[in-house]
Amino acid sequence: MNFSHLHLLLNHFPIIGGIIALGLFLTSFVGNNAGLRRASLILFVALALLALPTFFSGIGAKGELKAEPGISAALMDRHEGAAMLALFVMEIAGALALVELWRNQGSSTPRRRPGSILAILIFSLLTVGLMVRVGNTGGDIRHPEIRVGEGANETGLSAFVHVFEPSPDGFTQAMLISKWWWAFIMDLHFIGLALLIGTVGVLNLRLLGFLKRLPVAPLHALMPWAMAGFGINLLTGLFAYIGMPGYYTFDIAFWLKILAILLVWLNLAVFYLTDVFGTIERLGPGEDAPVFAKFIAGTALFLWFAVITLGRYIQPYNNTISIR
Amino acid sequence: MAPPLFLQSIEDSGLSTWLRESESPFAFYFVLLFHTFGLALLVGANTVVDLRLLGYVGEIPLAPLKGLFRIMWLGFAINACSGALLLLAYPTKALTNPFFYVKLAIIGFAVRVMVMIKDRVFGDPSLDESSMMKRGAGLAKWSICLWIGAITAGRLLAYTYKYLVYPS
Repeated sequence: MNFSHLHLLLNHFPIIGGIIALGLFLTSFVGNNAGLRRASLILFVALALLALPTFFSGIGAKGELKAEPGISAALMDRHEGAAMLALFVMEIAGALALVELWRNQGSSTPRRRPGSILAILIFSLLTVGLMVRVGNTGGDIRHPEIRVGEGANETGLSAFVHVFEPSPDGFTQAMLISKWWWAFIMDLHFIGLALLIGTVGVLNLRLLGFLKRLPVAPLHALMPWAMAGFGINLLTGLFAYIGMPGYYTFDIAFWLKILAILLVWLNLAVFYLTDVFGTIERLGPGEDAPVFAKFIAGTALFLWFAVITLGRYIQPYNNTISIR
Repeated sequence: MAPPLFLQSIEDSGLSTWLRESESPFAFYFVLLFHTFGLALLVGANTVVDLRLLGYVGEIPLAPLKGLFRIMWLGFAINACSGALLLLAYPTKALTNPFFYVKLAIIGFAVRVMVMIKDRVFGDPSLDESSMMKRGAGLAKWSICLWIGAITAGRLLAYTYKYLVYPS
Protein backbone atom coordinates (compact mmCIF):
# COMPACT_ATOMS: atom_id res chain seq x y z
CA MET A 1 0.00 0.00 0.00
CA ASN A 2 1.29 3.45 -0.87
CA PHE A 3 -0.13 6.96 -0.56
CA SER A 4 -1.87 6.77 -3.94
CA HIS A 5 -3.70 3.60 -2.81
CA LEU A 6 -4.67 5.21 0.46
CA HIS A 7 -5.83 8.37 -1.28
CA LEU A 8 -7.96 6.45 -3.79
CA LEU A 9 -9.51 4.53 -0.91
CA LEU A 10 -10.21 7.55 1.30
CA ASN A 11 -11.28 10.11 -1.29
CA HIS A 12 -14.70 8.48 -1.68
CA PHE A 13 -15.66 9.31 1.90
CA PRO A 14 -15.80 13.11 1.69
CA ILE A 15 -17.28 13.08 -1.83
CA ILE A 16 -19.84 10.23 -1.83
CA GLY A 17 -20.32 10.45 1.95
CA GLY A 18 -20.99 14.18 1.69
CA ILE A 19 -23.68 13.59 -0.92
CA ILE A 20 -25.30 10.88 1.27
CA ALA A 21 -25.14 13.08 4.40
CA LEU A 22 -26.68 16.01 2.52
CA GLY A 23 -29.39 13.70 1.14
CA LEU A 24 -30.25 12.46 4.64
CA PHE A 25 -30.23 16.01 5.96
CA LEU A 26 -32.59 17.26 3.26
CA THR A 27 -34.85 14.21 3.57
CA SER A 28 -35.13 14.82 7.32
CA PHE A 29 -37.22 17.90 6.61
CA VAL A 30 -39.93 15.70 5.10
CA GLY A 31 -42.12 15.07 8.13
CA ASN A 32 -39.47 16.73 10.35
CA ASN A 33 -37.67 13.44 11.06
CA ALA A 34 -35.38 14.21 14.03
CA GLY A 35 -33.68 10.79 13.96
CA LEU A 36 -32.71 11.13 10.33
CA ARG A 37 -31.40 14.64 10.91
CA ARG A 38 -29.31 13.42 13.82
CA ALA A 39 -27.90 10.64 11.63
CA SER A 40 -26.97 13.16 8.93
CA LEU A 41 -25.25 15.44 11.48
CA ILE A 42 -23.25 12.51 12.88
CA LEU A 43 -22.24 11.65 9.33
CA PHE A 44 -21.09 15.24 8.67
CA VAL A 45 -18.86 15.13 11.76
CA ALA A 46 -17.41 11.73 10.80
CA LEU A 47 -16.75 12.90 7.24
CA ALA A 48 -15.08 16.11 8.45
CA LEU A 49 -12.67 13.89 10.40
CA LEU A 50 -12.10 11.42 7.56
CA ALA A 51 -11.42 14.32 5.19
CA LEU A 52 -8.20 15.01 7.12
CA PRO A 53 -6.32 11.78 6.27
CA THR A 54 -7.81 12.02 2.77
CA PHE A 55 -6.11 15.39 2.32
CA PHE A 56 -2.83 14.25 3.88
CA SER A 57 -2.70 11.10 1.73
CA GLY A 58 -3.22 13.32 -1.32
CA ILE A 59 -0.03 15.19 -0.50
CA GLY A 60 1.74 11.82 -0.24
CA ALA A 61 0.30 10.71 -3.59
CA LYS A 62 1.52 13.97 -5.10
CA GLY A 63 5.01 13.15 -3.87
CA GLU A 64 4.77 9.72 -5.51
CA LEU A 65 3.39 11.01 -8.81
CA LYS A 66 5.71 14.00 -9.19
CA ALA A 67 8.38 12.00 -10.93
CA GLU A 68 5.99 10.13 -13.25
CA PRO A 69 6.14 11.07 -16.93
CA GLY A 70 3.05 12.74 -18.35
CA ILE A 71 1.80 14.03 -15.01
CA SER A 72 0.98 17.73 -15.03
CA ALA A 73 2.15 19.67 -11.97
CA ALA A 74 -0.41 22.39 -12.80
CA LEU A 75 -3.29 19.87 -12.66
CA MET A 76 -2.03 18.51 -9.34
CA ASP A 77 -1.77 22.04 -7.94
CA ARG A 78 -5.30 22.86 -9.09
CA HIS A 79 -6.59 19.67 -7.42
CA GLU A 80 -4.69 20.47 -4.21
CA GLY A 81 -5.98 24.07 -4.10
CA ALA A 82 -9.55 22.81 -4.66
CA ALA A 83 -9.03 20.22 -1.89
CA MET A 84 -7.77 22.87 0.55
CA LEU A 85 -10.85 25.05 0.07
CA ALA A 86 -13.24 22.08 0.23
CA LEU A 87 -11.47 20.75 3.34
CA PHE A 88 -11.83 24.00 5.29
CA VAL A 89 -15.49 24.35 4.27
CA MET A 90 -16.13 20.72 5.27
CA GLU A 91 -14.49 21.26 8.67
CA ILE A 92 -16.83 24.22 9.24
CA ALA A 93 -19.84 22.08 8.23
CA GLY A 94 -18.65 19.35 10.61
CA ALA A 95 -18.17 21.84 13.46
CA LEU A 96 -21.67 23.31 12.91
CA ALA A 97 -23.13 19.79 12.87
CA LEU A 98 -21.30 18.95 16.11
CA VAL A 99 -22.64 22.07 17.84
CA GLU A 100 -26.18 21.22 16.72
CA LEU A 101 -25.78 17.61 17.95
CA TRP A 102 -24.53 18.88 21.30
CA ARG A 103 -27.42 21.31 21.72
CA ASN A 104 -30.00 18.62 20.96
CA GLN A 105 -28.37 16.01 23.13
CA GLY A 106 -30.76 14.02 25.28
CA SER A 107 -33.92 15.54 23.84
CA SER A 108 -36.14 13.48 21.57
CA THR A 109 -37.78 16.57 20.12
CA PRO A 110 -34.99 19.02 19.28
CA ARG A 111 -35.78 22.70 19.49
CA ARG A 112 -36.11 24.46 16.18
CA ARG A 113 -33.16 26.70 15.49
CA PRO A 114 -33.66 27.99 11.96
CA GLY A 115 -30.35 29.92 12.05
CA SER A 116 -28.15 26.92 12.78
CA ILE A 117 -30.11 24.65 10.43
CA LEU A 118 -29.70 27.21 7.64
CA ALA A 119 -25.97 27.52 8.36
CA ILE A 120 -25.55 23.74 8.22
CA LEU A 121 -27.56 23.62 5.01
CA ILE A 122 -25.43 26.30 3.35
CA PHE A 123 -22.11 24.79 4.42
CA SER A 124 -23.14 21.24 3.54
CA LEU A 125 -24.31 22.33 0.08
CA LEU A 126 -21.04 24.21 -0.40
CA THR A 127 -19.09 21.20 0.84
CA VAL A 128 -20.77 18.82 -1.59
CA GLY A 129 -20.32 21.19 -4.52
CA LEU A 130 -16.66 21.82 -3.70
CA MET A 131 -15.95 18.14 -3.03
CA VAL A 132 -17.39 17.19 -6.43
CA ARG A 133 -14.98 19.67 -7.96
CA VAL A 134 -12.13 18.16 -5.93
CA GLY A 135 -13.08 14.76 -7.35
CA ASN A 136 -13.21 16.09 -10.90
CA THR A 137 -9.91 17.94 -10.69
CA GLY A 138 -8.35 14.85 -9.11
CA GLY A 139 -9.65 12.64 -11.89
CA ASP A 140 -8.24 15.01 -14.49
CA ILE A 141 -4.70 14.30 -13.28
CA ARG A 142 -4.67 10.71 -14.55
CA HIS A 143 -7.56 10.69 -17.03
CA PRO A 144 -7.10 12.91 -20.09
CA GLU A 145 -10.28 11.37 -21.55
CA ILE A 146 -12.49 13.18 -18.99
CA ARG A 147 -10.76 16.55 -19.10
CA VAL A 148 -12.76 19.55 -20.23
CA GLY A 149 -10.58 22.13 -21.95
CA GLU A 150 -6.84 22.36 -22.00
CA GLY A 151 -4.58 21.89 -18.98
CA ALA A 152 -5.59 23.65 -15.79
CA ASN A 153 -7.49 26.44 -17.57
CA GLU A 154 -10.93 27.13 -16.15
CA THR A 155 -14.12 28.49 -17.64
CA GLY A 156 -17.56 29.39 -16.30
CA LEU A 157 -18.46 28.32 -12.77
CA SER A 158 -15.12 26.48 -12.32
CA ALA A 159 -13.26 29.72 -13.04
CA PHE A 160 -15.40 31.50 -10.45
CA VAL A 161 -14.77 28.85 -7.76
CA HIS A 162 -11.09 28.78 -8.64
CA VAL A 163 -10.80 32.42 -7.56
CA PHE A 164 -11.45 31.32 -3.96
CA GLU A 165 -9.04 28.37 -4.04
CA PRO A 166 -5.64 28.99 -2.47
CA SER A 167 -2.48 28.31 -4.40
CA PRO A 168 -0.85 25.43 -2.49
CA ASP A 169 2.62 26.97 -2.66
CA GLY A 170 1.27 30.39 -1.75
CA PHE A 171 -0.51 28.97 1.31
CA THR A 172 2.64 27.14 2.38
CA GLN A 173 4.73 30.30 1.98
CA ALA A 174 2.16 32.29 3.98
CA MET A 175 2.54 29.88 6.90
CA LEU A 176 6.31 30.27 6.79
CA ILE A 177 6.27 34.04 6.34
CA SER A 178 7.81 34.70 9.74
CA LYS A 179 9.12 32.64 12.62
CA TRP A 180 6.84 34.67 14.91
CA TRP A 181 3.74 33.57 13.00
CA TRP A 182 4.92 29.97 13.22
CA ALA A 183 5.65 30.37 16.95
CA PHE A 184 2.15 31.83 17.39
CA ILE A 185 0.55 28.80 15.65
CA MET A 186 2.55 26.41 17.83
CA ASP A 187 1.76 28.44 20.96
CA LEU A 188 -1.97 28.18 20.26
CA HIS A 189 -1.54 24.45 19.60
CA PHE A 190 -0.16 23.98 23.13
CA ILE A 191 -2.79 26.23 24.72
CA GLY A 192 -5.47 24.19 22.93
CA LEU A 193 -3.82 21.03 24.22
CA ALA A 194 -4.00 22.23 27.84
CA LEU A 195 -7.65 23.28 27.47
CA LEU A 196 -8.58 19.98 25.82
CA ILE A 197 -6.74 17.64 28.19
CA GLY A 198 -7.81 19.54 31.30
CA THR A 199 -11.51 19.44 30.48
CA VAL A 200 -11.66 15.94 28.98
CA GLY A 201 -9.36 14.70 31.72
CA VAL A 202 -11.60 15.78 34.62
CA LEU A 203 -14.64 13.97 33.18
CA ASN A 204 -12.69 10.80 32.42
CA LEU A 205 -10.88 10.78 35.77
CA ARG A 206 -14.24 11.10 37.55
CA LEU A 207 -15.64 8.14 35.59
CA LEU A 208 -12.54 6.13 36.48
CA GLY A 209 -13.26 6.72 40.18
CA PHE A 210 -11.04 9.70 41.02
CA LEU A 211 -12.52 13.05 42.18
CA LYS A 212 -15.56 11.05 43.33
CA ARG A 213 -17.14 13.91 45.26
CA LEU A 214 -18.13 15.36 41.89
CA PRO A 215 -21.48 14.42 40.33
CA VAL A 216 -21.08 13.39 36.68
CA ALA A 217 -23.86 15.25 34.84
CA PRO A 218 -22.53 18.82 35.41
CA LEU A 219 -19.09 17.79 34.16
CA HIS A 220 -20.56 17.60 30.67
CA ALA A 221 -20.58 21.40 30.72
CA LEU A 222 -16.82 21.03 30.15
CA MET A 223 -17.23 19.26 26.82
CA PRO A 224 -17.86 22.41 24.71
CA TRP A 225 -14.56 23.75 26.12
CA ALA A 226 -12.87 20.51 25.15
CA MET A 227 -14.28 20.83 21.66
CA ALA A 228 -13.05 24.44 21.54
CA GLY A 229 -9.57 23.14 22.43
CA PHE A 230 -9.86 20.51 19.72
CA GLY A 231 -11.03 23.15 17.23
CA ILE A 232 -8.03 25.39 18.02
CA ASN A 233 -5.71 22.43 17.56
CA LEU A 234 -7.35 21.23 14.37
CA LEU A 235 -6.96 24.68 12.81
CA THR A 236 -3.42 25.30 14.05
CA GLY A 237 -2.48 21.71 13.19
CA LEU A 238 -3.76 22.17 9.64
CA PHE A 239 -1.86 25.45 9.33
CA ALA A 240 1.33 23.75 10.51
CA TYR A 241 0.73 20.86 8.09
CA ILE A 242 0.20 23.22 5.16
CA GLY A 243 3.34 25.11 6.20
CA MET A 244 5.48 21.97 5.98
CA PRO A 245 3.47 19.31 4.10
CA GLY A 246 6.45 17.16 3.16
CA TYR A 247 7.77 17.18 6.71
CA TYR A 248 4.58 15.71 8.16
CA THR A 249 3.40 13.47 5.33
CA PHE A 250 6.45 11.22 5.26
CA ASP A 251 6.52 10.77 9.04
CA ILE A 252 5.16 7.61 10.67
CA ALA A 253 4.53 9.37 14.02
CA PHE A 254 2.31 11.91 12.27
CA TRP A 255 0.16 9.20 10.68
CA LEU A 256 -0.14 7.29 13.94
CA LYS A 257 -1.18 10.55 15.61
CA ILE A 258 -3.94 11.03 13.03
CA LEU A 259 -5.03 7.42 13.59
CA ALA A 260 -5.11 8.00 17.36
CA ILE A 261 -7.24 11.14 16.84
CA LEU A 262 -9.72 9.16 14.73
CA LEU A 263 -9.83 6.45 17.42
CA VAL A 264 -10.46 9.08 20.09
CA TRP A 265 -13.50 10.23 18.13
CA LEU A 266 -14.65 6.64 17.71
CA ASN A 267 -14.36 6.31 21.47
CA LEU A 268 -16.38 9.49 21.91
CA ALA A 269 -19.03 8.14 19.52
CA VAL A 270 -19.31 4.91 21.53
CA PHE A 271 -19.62 7.01 24.68
CA TYR A 272 -22.36 9.35 23.48
CA LEU A 273 -24.21 7.31 20.87
CA THR A 274 -24.62 4.04 22.78
CA ASP A 275 -26.04 3.25 26.22
CA VAL A 276 -22.81 4.21 28.00
CA PHE A 277 -23.77 7.85 28.39
CA GLY A 278 -27.17 6.89 29.81
CA THR A 279 -25.55 4.67 32.45
CA ILE A 280 -23.40 7.46 33.88
CA GLU A 281 -25.41 10.60 33.24
CA ARG A 282 -27.16 10.58 36.60
CA LEU A 283 -24.26 9.41 38.78
CA GLY A 284 -24.21 11.48 41.96
CA PRO A 285 -21.30 12.24 44.30
CA GLY A 286 -19.55 9.09 45.52
CA GLU A 287 -21.28 6.77 43.04
CA ASP A 288 -19.26 4.38 40.94
CA ALA A 289 -19.47 4.21 37.14
CA PRO A 290 -20.17 0.81 35.54
CA VAL A 291 -17.15 -1.15 34.33
CA PHE A 292 -17.78 -0.51 30.63
CA ALA A 293 -18.02 3.26 31.21
CA LYS A 294 -14.70 3.05 33.08
CA PHE A 295 -13.20 1.16 30.17
CA ILE A 296 -14.34 3.87 27.74
CA ALA A 297 -13.00 6.64 30.01
CA GLY A 298 -9.66 4.85 30.44
CA THR A 299 -9.37 4.29 26.69
CA ALA A 300 -10.13 7.96 26.03
CA LEU A 301 -7.39 9.12 28.41
CA PHE A 302 -4.95 6.61 26.97
CA LEU A 303 -5.71 7.76 23.42
CA TRP A 304 -5.39 11.46 24.23
CA PHE A 305 -2.00 10.85 25.82
CA ALA A 306 -1.08 8.75 22.79
CA VAL A 307 -1.98 11.74 20.59
CA ILE A 308 0.39 13.95 22.63
CA THR A 309 3.11 11.29 22.56
CA LEU A 310 2.92 10.77 18.81
CA GLY A 311 2.83 14.53 18.25
CA ARG A 312 6.01 14.89 20.26
CA TYR A 313 7.75 12.20 18.22
CA ILE A 314 6.95 13.77 14.84
CA GLN A 315 10.28 15.60 14.88
CA PRO A 316 12.62 12.62 15.44
CA TYR A 317 10.57 10.35 13.15
CA ASN A 318 10.73 12.76 10.25
CA ASN A 319 11.40 11.03 6.91
CA THR A 320 10.49 7.58 8.18
CA ILE A 321 8.17 6.87 5.24
CA SER A 322 9.93 6.55 1.94
CA ILE A 323 8.36 6.73 -1.49
CA ARG A 324 9.47 5.13 -4.70
CA MET B 1 31.06 37.95 24.84
CA ALA B 2 31.30 34.17 25.12
CA PRO B 3 28.90 32.39 27.47
CA PRO B 4 30.33 31.30 30.85
CA LEU B 5 32.55 28.22 30.67
CA PHE B 6 30.61 26.19 33.22
CA LEU B 7 27.90 25.79 30.57
CA GLN B 8 30.39 23.93 28.41
CA SER B 9 31.34 21.70 31.33
CA ILE B 10 27.71 20.77 31.86
CA GLU B 11 27.27 20.01 28.17
CA ASP B 12 30.37 17.81 28.19
CA SER B 13 29.04 15.65 31.02
CA GLY B 14 27.94 12.12 30.14
CA LEU B 15 24.22 12.56 30.90
CA SER B 16 23.95 15.88 29.06
CA THR B 17 25.68 14.45 25.98
CA TRP B 18 23.53 11.31 26.07
CA LEU B 19 20.28 13.27 26.40
CA ARG B 20 21.24 15.52 23.50
CA GLU B 21 22.93 13.14 21.10
CA SER B 22 21.49 9.68 21.71
CA GLU B 23 19.22 8.37 18.99
CA SER B 24 17.28 6.37 21.55
CA PRO B 25 13.59 7.34 21.66
CA PHE B 26 14.01 7.42 25.45
CA ALA B 27 16.53 10.27 25.42
CA PHE B 28 15.73 13.93 24.68
CA TYR B 29 12.26 13.49 23.15
CA PHE B 30 11.15 11.27 26.02
CA VAL B 31 11.98 14.04 28.49
CA LEU B 32 10.28 16.58 26.24
CA LEU B 33 7.22 14.31 26.11
CA PHE B 34 6.97 14.25 29.90
CA HIS B 35 7.36 18.03 29.93
CA THR B 36 4.26 18.15 27.71
CA PHE B 37 2.38 15.63 29.90
CA GLY B 38 3.19 17.80 32.91
CA LEU B 39 1.97 20.92 31.09
CA ALA B 40 -1.30 19.18 30.23
CA LEU B 41 -1.87 18.14 33.86
CA LEU B 42 -0.73 21.39 35.48
CA VAL B 43 -2.29 23.91 33.11
CA GLY B 44 -5.27 21.70 32.22
CA ALA B 45 -6.36 21.25 35.84
CA ASN B 46 -5.78 24.95 36.56
CA THR B 47 -7.91 25.86 33.54
CA VAL B 48 -10.88 23.84 34.82
CA VAL B 49 -10.72 25.51 38.26
CA ASP B 50 -10.29 28.95 36.66
CA LEU B 51 -13.23 28.47 34.28
CA ARG B 52 -15.42 27.41 37.20
CA LEU B 53 -14.35 30.36 39.36
CA LEU B 54 -15.19 32.70 36.50
CA GLY B 55 -18.65 31.18 36.34
CA TYR B 56 -18.36 29.57 32.88
CA VAL B 57 -19.24 26.02 33.95
CA GLY B 58 -21.48 27.03 36.83
CA GLU B 59 -23.24 23.64 36.99
CA ILE B 60 -20.15 22.01 38.50
CA PRO B 61 -20.04 22.14 42.32
CA LEU B 62 -16.97 24.12 43.33
CA ALA B 63 -15.75 22.57 46.56
CA PRO B 64 -14.97 19.07 45.17
CA LEU B 65 -12.67 20.65 42.57
CA LYS B 66 -10.15 20.92 45.42
CA GLY B 67 -9.08 17.40 44.38
CA LEU B 68 -7.63 18.90 41.19
CA PHE B 69 -4.82 20.59 43.13
CA ARG B 70 -3.18 17.19 43.58
CA ILE B 71 -3.14 16.81 39.79
CA MET B 72 -1.66 20.30 39.45
CA TRP B 73 1.15 19.46 41.87
CA LEU B 74 1.76 16.15 40.08
CA GLY B 75 2.08 18.08 36.81
CA PHE B 76 4.35 20.62 38.47
CA ALA B 77 6.61 17.87 39.86
CA ILE B 78 6.83 16.15 36.46
CA ASN B 79 7.75 19.45 34.84
CA ALA B 80 10.28 20.47 37.48
CA CYS B 81 12.10 17.14 36.93
CA SER B 82 11.76 17.03 33.14
CA GLY B 83 12.62 20.74 32.96
CA ALA B 84 15.81 20.16 34.95
CA LEU B 85 16.79 17.39 32.51
CA LEU B 86 16.03 19.60 29.48
CA LEU B 87 18.19 22.31 31.04
CA LEU B 88 20.95 19.74 31.60
CA ALA B 89 20.74 18.73 27.91
CA TYR B 90 20.94 22.30 26.54
CA PRO B 91 22.22 24.61 29.29
CA THR B 92 23.76 27.20 26.95
CA LYS B 93 20.63 27.36 24.83
CA ALA B 94 18.40 28.04 27.84
CA LEU B 95 20.58 30.13 30.13
CA THR B 96 21.70 32.59 27.43
CA ASN B 97 18.09 33.26 26.38
CA PRO B 98 16.23 36.01 28.29
CA PHE B 99 12.93 34.27 27.57
CA PHE B 100 14.06 31.38 29.79
CA TYR B 101 14.16 33.70 32.82
CA VAL B 102 10.86 35.29 31.77
CA LYS B 103 9.34 31.80 31.64
CA LEU B 104 10.63 30.90 35.11
CA ALA B 105 9.38 34.19 36.55
CA ILE B 106 5.91 33.72 35.02
CA ILE B 107 5.74 30.15 36.35
CA GLY B 108 6.76 31.44 39.78
CA PHE B 109 3.88 33.94 39.74
CA ALA B 110 1.44 31.38 38.32
CA VAL B 111 2.26 28.84 41.04
CA ARG B 112 1.92 31.58 43.66
CA VAL B 113 -1.57 32.39 42.31
CA MET B 114 -2.39 28.67 42.29
CA VAL B 115 -1.48 28.39 45.98
CA MET B 116 -3.47 31.55 46.75
CA ILE B 117 -6.54 30.07 45.05
CA LYS B 118 -6.14 26.86 47.03
CA ASP B 119 -5.70 28.68 50.37
CA ARG B 120 -8.15 31.54 50.00
CA VAL B 121 -10.90 29.88 47.98
CA PHE B 122 -10.70 26.21 48.89
CA GLY B 123 -9.03 26.50 52.28
CA ASP B 124 -12.10 27.77 54.14
CA PRO B 125 -14.85 25.10 54.22
CA SER B 126 -17.33 27.57 55.70
CA LEU B 127 -17.50 29.58 52.45
CA ASP B 128 -20.51 29.11 50.19
CA GLU B 129 -20.09 28.97 46.40
CA SER B 130 -20.82 32.61 45.69
CA SER B 131 -18.27 33.76 48.31
CA MET B 132 -15.74 31.32 46.86
CA MET B 133 -16.31 32.76 43.39
CA LYS B 134 -16.11 36.31 44.68
CA ARG B 135 -12.75 35.56 46.27
CA GLY B 136 -11.46 33.53 43.34
CA ALA B 137 -12.61 35.32 40.18
CA GLY B 138 -9.79 37.88 40.13
CA LEU B 139 -7.18 35.24 40.89
CA ALA B 140 -8.63 32.98 38.17
CA LYS B 141 -8.14 35.71 35.56
CA TRP B 142 -4.53 36.11 36.66
CA SER B 143 -4.09 32.35 36.61
CA ILE B 144 -5.31 32.02 33.00
CA CYS B 145 -3.16 34.92 31.80
CA LEU B 146 -0.05 33.67 33.62
CA TRP B 147 -0.36 30.08 32.37
CA ILE B 148 -0.86 31.30 28.79
CA GLY B 149 2.20 33.46 29.36
CA ALA B 150 4.20 30.50 30.69
CA ILE B 151 3.29 28.34 27.68
CA THR B 152 4.08 31.19 25.30
CA ALA B 153 7.46 31.91 26.88
CA GLY B 154 8.22 28.18 26.79
CA ARG B 155 7.31 27.90 23.11
CA LEU B 156 9.41 30.96 22.31
CA LEU B 157 12.50 29.19 23.71
CA ALA B 158 12.43 27.02 20.59
CA TYR B 159 12.59 30.02 18.26
CA THR B 160 14.64 32.67 20.04
CA TYR B 161 17.84 31.04 21.28
CA LYS B 162 21.20 32.56 20.38
CA TYR B 163 23.30 29.41 20.90
CA LEU B 164 21.99 25.87 20.55
CA VAL B 165 25.12 24.52 22.25
CA TYR B 166 28.29 26.13 23.60
CA PRO B 167 30.02 27.89 20.68
CA SER B 168 33.21 26.16 19.60
